[in-house]
Amino acid sequence: MAGAARHLLLAPAAVLLLGFFVLPYLNMLVISVMTPSPTAAYLHVFTLRNYAAIVGDAFTWGVIWHTIQIGVLTTAIALAVSYPLAYHLARAPRRRKGLLMALVISPLLVGVLIRTYGWMILLQDTGLINQARAALGLRPLALMYNDLGVLIGLVHVFIPFMVLAITGPIQGIDPELELAARSLGAGFWRTFWRVTFPLSMPGVVAGTILVFVLTISSYVIPSLLGGFKVLTVPILVIRTITELFNWPGGSAFAILFFVITIAVLWAYLRALGRAAHPGS
Amino acid sequence: MVRSAERRWLALAAVLLYLFLLAPVAIVVLAALNAGAYLRFPPDGLSDRWFVTFVHNRTLMRSFRYSVELAAIATVAATVIGTMTSLWLVRFSGRFRTAMRLLMIAPIAVPGILTGIALLIYFYAIGWGKAGGLPQLVVGHTLICIPYVVLIVSAVLVRFDRSLEEAARNLGADPFTTFRRVTLPLIKGAVIAGAIFAFVTSYDEFNISLLLSGVGTVPLPIELFDYLRFSFDPTLAVAGTISIAMAVAVVLITERLIGLEALYLG
Repeated sequence: MAGAARHLLLAPAAVLLLGFFVLPYLNMLVISVMTPSPTAAYLHVFTLRNYAAIVGDAFTWGVIWHTIQIGVLTTAIALAVSYPLAYHLARAPRRRKGLLMALVISPLLVGVLIRTYGWMILLQDTGLINQARAALGLRPLALMYNDLGVLIGLVHVFIPFMVLAITGPIQGIDPELELAARSLGAGFWRTFWRVTFPLSMPGVVAGTILVFVLTISSYVIPSLLGGFKVLTVPILVIRTITELFNWPGGSAFAILFFVITIAVLWAYLRALGRAAHPGS
Repeated sequence: MVRSAERRWLALAAVLLYLFLLAPVAIVVLAALNAGAYLRFPPDGLSDRWFVTFVHNRTLMRSFRYSVELAAIATVAATVIGTMTSLWLVRFSGRFRTAMRLLMIAPIAVPGILTGIALLIYFYAIGWGKAGGLPQLVVGHTLICIPYVVLIVSAVLVRFDRSLEEAARNLGADPFTTFRRVTLPLIKGAVIAGAIFAFVTSYDEFNISLLLSGVGTVPLPIELFDYLRFSFDPTLAVAGTISIAMAVAVVLITERLIGLEALYLG
């Protein structure tokens, strides 16, 4: 294809992404400094009060803090749980890999809502787990409508992402290296912490960042498994937008949370860098 | 290298984790097939009564059809646009490749809830009504389907042998004929796989639909969400089972077309 004509291939995507992705986000930035109004969507009057209202509100900070806690916990548990799975997958014989990969990916393709429904059947007060406990003469456990239920649901949903992110790098590690460490007298755990884990770090970093970002922005699981009792930032933002119709306030909150997320990730990468190069 | 006892522990851990991954999915299918209104052990026996209830539930069926229609439109749009974009990215992007690739992937890298809010406010600002409705949903869904098509199609295009196209051109074929008769047949598998991923993504999408759905008929996930807040009716499990059947089909087809190993994120 000659000259400028070839760039027409990009045109539809460029128009769509600029017109309906980049511009909407810029527009949200602008709206976040407009004045909320009970009679219109917003007034075209500049104000920083939307941000000030969030920064000055202890309740909102509590929700932000709780959201980050859930994010960190979910990410840590998902990593611990996904690592053996990814290792097993990476070292599986070639012909079995397709099937194992299918097992990891298929939950990903079933909507979050459906999987959450499955957890509700299992975890509710009269659910299967508590039925089993009752049959054994045990007291029912509160597994849902609290942080525990939210954590179970979130970890479950994000394991496939973590596995997909770390399997590749683990596969890239030459098994000879582990073998060498073992034959030089290092035990299983020492080999793992000194050889395998450090070499899989690129995947671990990618996976943890991905899962953390997805966790703190998830809406379905905290609202269904948390049952209005667990409050997270997305729930609060959606409420501000769709129930209070405070678009400027909701936009400001969303943007502020975005900034906080970036800050958390920056601190995380810095800490990792410091751990990798102590003393620098 | 792990020793045999360690390998057994690893295999055991993996089996338990696979069970954990599949448990809620299997439970939904069981609940849909179970005769009773509650899932309990021992089960009340098999029955298709919830499937019958689902088919006769007019609200759910209307949402189901709406979701399929929406997913079909978004899939066609995303597949055409995504394939064109992949060709450009792999062949002609030059020094803009990384930046443009990032931009194309961005819609699935940023939280869907944020994109939904941004679009809702934006549609209002440009006078597309107070959001709500098929056109707005199609735009939102196409946006998040394109990245999957781009990821899958460009992964295959990178390995493409371009001398085949050059041969066709040397023999006198124009660029469009070359694409239709040489390029497309060779990347067909990836295009179909991308389209399937796009369809499932749209069919199951929740965040964007939550913010862009109007009053009246809404996509199935939004309808299910409203139901789920207040009831555990097994009719919903039927909707879930349909979704699960689709996922299984997607995995089987993708594995056949391009092999699932191509899908690592790392």
